[in-house]
Amino acid sequence: MEVMESDHVHHAIEEQQEQQHFHVLAVDDSLIDRKLLERLLKVSSYKVTCVDSGDEALKYLGLVDDDVDKNSPASSSSSSSPQSPAQDGLKVNLIMTDYCMPGMSGYDLLKRVKGSSWKDVPVVIMSSENVPARISKCLEGGAEEFLLKPLQLSDLKNLEHYLLKPLHHSCQSNIISDIAAEDDGVDSSDDNINNDIIDSKSSSSSSNNNNSIINKRKAVSPEPSERRPRAKGLAVV
Amino acid sequence: MAYLVQLQKQFDDYRASLFNEGFLDDQFEQLQQLQDESNPDFVVEVVSLFFQDSERLLNELATSLDQQNTDYRKVDAHVHQLKGSSSSIGAQRVQRVCIAFRNFCEEQNTEGCLKCLQQVKHEYTLVKNKLETLFKLERQLLAARGSSFV
Repeated sequence: MEVMESDHVHHAIEEQQEQQHFHVLAVDDSLIDRKLLERLLKVSSYKVTCVDSGDEALKYLGLVDDDVDKNSPASSSSSSSPQSPAQDGLKVNLIMTDYCMPGMSGYDLLKRVKGSSWKDVPVVIMSSENVPARISKCLEGGAEEFLLKPLQLSDLKNLEHYLLKPLHHSCQSNIISDIAAEDDGVDSSDDNINNDIIDSKSSSSSSNNNNSIINKRKAVSPEPSERRPRAKGLAVV
Repeated sequence: MAYLVQLQKQFDDYRASLFNEGFLDDQFEQLQQLQDESNPDFVVEVVSLFFQDSERLLNELATSLDQQNTDYRKVDAHVHQLKGSSSSIGAQRVQRVCIAFRNFCEEQNTEGCLKCLQQVKHEYTLVKNKLETLFKLERQLLAARGSSFV
């Protein structure tokens, strides 16, 4: 029994560490583009799962129809699909999919996801072609953004806006407050911060024991003196 | 020490020429930005994938265009893939030929397609040689740096 308990603790710790990184499901039929996207995402500190088709993406999300399951061999799981963790607790914060894929297109995948229990997960569509009608169609279909390939690191910076909260399939919300308290937590925990400011102001004027979020708010608007260029070491005579 | 400086200059000049002559574009720089100590071979790996993929596609294209009744949708699909992968690694000249190639596919212009196939093969061979040379120069440079700190 003790052995099982320590295993359980070990798994819990691992899982918590995993949960601290946003998890992106990347869908692209091109091996080169998958490799690129995976690297881009990892460099930006995201956890990534890559699949090569819309069908594989749906399988991973557990959205495959029963009929399809019945037809496939009972004991096999295809070697190309990733280890699909148990439905309960599977966390996907963002889906990035190519538009042009054989079989199911990125748009088809978008519609399937939006019509499922994963509908709140932001979906970003990528394409090498700049076709305005295609872009509108995807955005109207619920895509968060449409990115032109090849993707660059700067494109990923914008993704942060949709990734404020981890979305658990089983709706666990323990991590939400942890992540909200980081970096951009100012907006979501506004009330708490205001209370803190009021409290500290009333106690002492020069108190520096505020939490870091308050200092960040102060740092947003630089004081006038900082805008003046610093004097260089050498004086011009 | 002079040897090291010479190697470095040779490498830098060669690399610059690839950009100046349009073989590579900014996307190749992006690839290099993704490489670091934890993934020191990233660029070589991605470029190797590009070589493998391109060779496969060029063979498919030759086969598809050799048919009695060319299936232009199939040809276009292959060219689209080649355009995408060349764009992803920054192989600008290959990508440009692919754009023209796709236009001929749309027109179902066999002669135009065959010409583009020759042209894209030519550009691919050129950029492959250039990149292989670049990687070789880089290896020489790294080897020389390594030994100069003995």
